[in-house]
Amino acid sequence: MKRWRYLSGKISWALFTILFVIVLNFFLFRILPGDPARAGVRDPRLTRENIEAIRVRYGLDKPIINCFESLNPVKIGSCVVNPLDTQFFIYIGNLLQGDMMISFHTNRPVTEILSERLWNTVILIGAGQILAIIVGVLFGMFSAWKARTSLDYASLTISLVAWSIPTFWLGVILLFWGSNNGMPIAGMSTPGMSSYPLLTQWGDIARHMFLPTLTYTIVYMGEYMLIMRSSLLDVLSEDYILTAKAKGLSIFQILKDHAIKNAMLPLVTIIAINLGFTVGGVIQIETVFSWPGLGMTTVEALNRRDFPVLQGAFLLIAVAVILSNLLADLAYSYLDPRVKTE
Amino acid sequence: MEAQITTTATAPRFQEFWRVFRRNYMGLVGFIMLVVAIFVALFAPALSPYDPSSTLNVTTSDIYNPPSAAHWLGTDDAGQDVLTNFIFGARVSLTIGFFAAFISLVIGGVLGIIAGFYGGRTEELIMRFTDIMLVIPDLPLMMVVIALTKPSIFNIILVIGLLYWTTTARMVRSQTLAVKSRKFVLRARAIGSGKRHIIRRHILPLVLPILVVQAVLVVSSAVLAESTLSFLGLGDPTALSWGQMLNYAFGRGAMSTGAWWALVVPGFGIVWVVLGLTLLGQGLEQVLNPRLDTHHLMPGRPVVRNEANEDAEKPTGKSPLLEVRNLSIHYINEGSPPARAVENISFNLREGELIGLVGESGCGKTTLMLSLLRLLPSAGQIVNGRVIFNGRDLTALTEDELNSVRWSGISIVFQGAMNALNPVRTVGEQIAEAIIKHLPDFPRESLSARVVELLDLVGIAADHKDHFPHQYSGGMRQRAMIAMALACNPQVIIADEPTTALDVMIQAQILELLDKLRKKLGLAIVFVTHDLGVVAEMCDKVLVMYGGVTAEYADVDVIYNNPKHPYTQELLKAFPDLTKPKKKLSSIPGYPPRLDALPAGCRFAPRCPAAFNRCHTEQPSLHKLGDGHIASCHLVEASK
Repeated sequence: MKRWRYLSGKISWALFTILFVIVLNFFLFRILPGDPARAGVRDPRLTRENIEAIRVRYGLDKPIINCFESLNPVKIGSCVVNPLDTQFFIYIGNLLQGDMMISFHTNRPVTEILSERLWNTVILIGAGQILAIIVGVLFGMFSAWKARTSLDYASLTISLVAWSIPTFWLGVILLFWGSNNGMPIAGMSTPGMSSYPLLTQWGDIARHMFLPTLTYTIVYMGEYMLIMRSSLLDVLSEDYILTAKAKGLSIFQILKDHAIKNAMLPLVTIIAINLGFTVGGVIQIETVFSWPGLGMTTVEALNRRDFPVLQGAFLLIAVAVILSNLLADLAYSYLDPRVKTE
Repeated sequence: MEAQITTTATAPRFQEFWRVFRRNYMGLVGFIMLVVAIFVALFAPALSPYDPSSTLNVTTSDIYNPPSAAHWLGTDDAGQDVLTNFIFGARVSLTIGFFAAFISLVIGGVLGIIAGFYGGRTEELIMRFTDIMLVIPDLPLMMVVIALTKPSIFNIILVIGLLYWTTTARMVRSQTLAVKSRKFVLRARAIGSGKRHIIRRHILPLVLPILVVQAVLVVSSAVLAESTLSFLGLGDPTALSWGQMLNYAFGRGAMSTGAWWALVVPGFGIVWVVLGLTLLGQGLEQVLNPRLDTHHLMPGRPVVRNEANEDAEKPTGKSPLLEVRNLSIHYINEGSPPARAVENISFNLREGELIGLVGESGCGKTTLMLSLLRLLPSAGQIVNGRVIFNGRDLTALTEDELNSVRWSGISIVFQGAMNALNPVRTVGEQIAEAIIKHLPDFPRESLSARVVELLDLVGIAADHKDHFPHQYSGGMRQRAMIAMALACNPQVIIADEPTTALDVMIQAQILELLDKLRKKLGLAIVFVTHDLGVVAEMCDKVLVMYGGVTAEYADVDVIYNNPKHPYTQELLKAFPDLTKPKKKLSSIPGYPPRLDALPAGCRFAPRCPAAFNRCHTEQPSLHKLGDGHIASCHLVEASK
């Protein structure tokens, strides 16, 4: 019963946060300077009629929301308009139908562009995250077990250095090294690969993935190492470890049966919270390696002032992070008996 | 007047801080790295070989020149000196970092203090908002905001400052909450001090250290954020920060021309500053919030045995089940003399016997018990003596040999059983684990039945087998611990204050249970307690410890009817006697000695009502008073 209340609390909170992000996403683009239509199509040859046509096409001729004609500059409008005929509710309505407007740049629906790119990012994050967690957790365990020895200090130093390196710079350096050593330097696959057998294609993608994944792993393993080290140190100084030792269990048995699961529990939450920051790292990695994912799409949209794509990408990224946080909460409640049975 | 007090109070505090900080290499290295970076930024014009604004005499042949005598770090895409731009870049990066961090610290600090101090709706609202901001990915949001405004230094500072306050707000809030309930704040509120006064005078000084650590970390995040934004093309095009240098180099062909210097040098600056700040932050955190990096799996110190000191006398007749002979334990602290926690303790234990180990807290009882199975924390070292169990000297065994004795020969019931059980495994699993370890031939199919049997023995119903410790009551956990201790049929059980923190009824049940099990299973028990009533009721022998040494050791009747040591006598006076209900109870004034500041003579002398001159200068030796009765007191020697 209590567990249900816990879960429904978490789920409704996540939904509320998503709603907040949607509202923020809408108003951000209307409060900050620059009419989206004019900013998007900055061509001096456009006539007034052309601009008007674009405004109508993107629904920008309608009032933003009841009482407000526009927000930048603030222009008070009539309050007795049909709410469903305002930009805000049209936007919400379209979102519910999975429609996120049309790209200024390519004229394709934003939803189509993003869903194409989403999976490339998921693959990259997935591979990098798994490797970073494995390496970081192993290093952290080792470091905690050998606490206050020179081995511990060495791996602590490596982790702090890895943590301090800007992601994009590490990417640039690895790319520089890779380009001199015959590694593919851009994109996800070599052009013209589609005529080859599937296995060759996958091998090609793996080769392209190597450097971006390596960058990701190095940048995030330091953090996981530090967290695992401190979490395991906390656990290893608990009384029940002394009990286990008094029981005559070997160090390996104690680590395996009593320490690691307990130390991993807080890590689950931290990994999920980190996903928010991880997205920042992925944007940089994709930019450096021209990996055709959401991050590169965002940066491209930014440089072209393609606001519908930018808006859509931001929303998608934010919602993904919120959902993964929710997932971590649910996983935690399942893994930790103290939450499960209370 | 008040100002004067604060200055005299803070000056030594700062010196104290500096004294500790100086020895923290991590913090010190970080501090020096940061100072170097700030120095470079401040004296950029004097340090750089060229004028960064001058484009005179730059021709296309100057683009991406490799390092040379004229340009130590080569030239960039505009033919300018990389070293000069690097030095001036420090100014831009650090300025943005510091200003953005300042804004975010002010926002986070104010919100955190308000939330923590006022509580209620305000706190709920602020923290909920903080939670939302914490979830929204910051880099995409910054990118969107800057793309919609103008990429200028001012906007970048503002955006970073407005987004990086969440962790600060959370930390400051929890610190404020902790400070708020402290006595002096409660007192200040009780005498009617204004809220602003309390915040300024009492809360801010204690929140400040956290804010300093946080500041260091936020500056490093801000520097990173600025360089990332600049690299992505969202930086101020007129200010050449390190991120901007990288953006130009990466976007304008440094990669294809092989101009590694243009790519490596600016990144090095960012790593230098961020690493310096990270190290400084970690160091400060360690100094302000020290935690021991020790744990139970660290290798113990080797046993030292001083044979010359050893009692030459061999035990007569049948050797006892467990014999502790002249055991001494020190705690080793680097830089200070060892703390002599236990010195020269001896006792014997036969089958089915129950010995009570009595003394106030901090007198070395637990240290002694842990040392029997060599479970001391890593600072503890057995510096003399032997622990002979079944004819084997446990102090001479290897760790592996010891593991086979642990639990199957001697098991321990720990005090405060809450944390002695692993919270994420069921009680049944934890009991079965010991059986699997020590009785590998035990048939797996009857394992579950055996666990139920053990739980039944201590009065826990079978259906609690698969429950987790937090589902047990305090008394049940203690009984489960006893069931676990019995799992491998040990000959000796060490019960380390098994009834503290339990209510009187449960205490009685547990004691009764232990006594019943002893009679039923023929166990020998070492019972650690500070409760003389328990000792009188159950024990055969009593060892009274004071300040790590034996005060008195004798059969229970002798201890009660003919105590020789003043400490034993005083302890008995402090214990209610049912046969003399009108007798006044007295307590012993003072506290047991600190192990790092032991008195020169008898350790009890400062509190002893019968102490005379000799007691303060000379430590009494152990005097034998007939049949197994030992007392360490100069008075005993005099009366002999």
